[in-house]
Amino acid sequence: MTEPSYQQPAYQPPAGTGPSGPRASFGRRLVAAIIDGILLGVVGGIFYAISRPLGYAVQLLITIAYLTYLEGSPSGQTVGKKAMGIRVIDFRTGGSIGYGRAFVRWIGRYVSAIPCLLGYLWMLWDKEKQTWHDKFANDVVVPESAYPVESWPG
Amino acid sequence: MLAAGLTLPALPGHPSFHCPLRALTGLPCPLCGLSTSVEETVHFHLGDALAANPLGVLLVLVAVALLVLRPARLALPRAVVPTVLAASWLFELHRFSFL
Repeated sequence: MTEPSYQQPAYQPPAGTGPSGPRASFGRRLVAAIIDGILLGVVGGIFYAISRPLGYAVQLLITIAYLTYLEGSPSGQTVGKKAMGIRVIDFRTGGSIGYGRAFVRWIGRYVSAIPCLLGYLWMLWDKEKQTWHDKFANDVVVPESAYPVESWPG
Repeated sequence: MLAAGLTLPALPGHPSFHCPLRALTGLPCPLCGLSTSVEETVHFHLGDALAANPLGVLLVLVAVALLVLRPARLALPRAVVPTVLAASWLFELHRFSFL
């Protein structure tokens, strides 16, 4: 007896060489990242104004909380991803990746960024359009149109 | 730019905006450190300005020169802007220990 899962179709083994389902485009993911980046930059700037000495430590905590909570939520959508109609889902089950793996995904962002963002650009030629942080958290980013969201953040 | 450098620190809370790239990825962008650098330069704290980003000092000098000289036309070789941005990025990557 297993718990009822989320509404997404179960993972199908890939046939041939293409991706195993619809994947979010680089452009949408980039715009979503810009929206999230500006949002985090503005909120970080406000906290910086309130308490200067904490500076980027507060920025870091806000970013961790924001990404872990929203990408680990059942919708798998940050504000930017919601605006662009894309979401993070578990590669195997199609459900939520949960908060633990969302946190791993955040750590993975650093690994992706260090070689001049190569880990981010990796999705351009990856079969499943995965960045390195997608691979660490074993997720894929998909269009909402193919994998509907029930509620946000869910 | 000069006006912002002079007035922003005087406003309550010292309004600022954090780099979106750095907030999201941890990686500084080519323009990181410029607000600090311009502010410190116009307050004659050159050491702090150079430590944040030497490009800020250069930008203030250029801005002052333009205000004083008021040249009718300004022609820059095409390679200047990309080269300066690349140098600035390398400096910031080094400042944040990525290089």
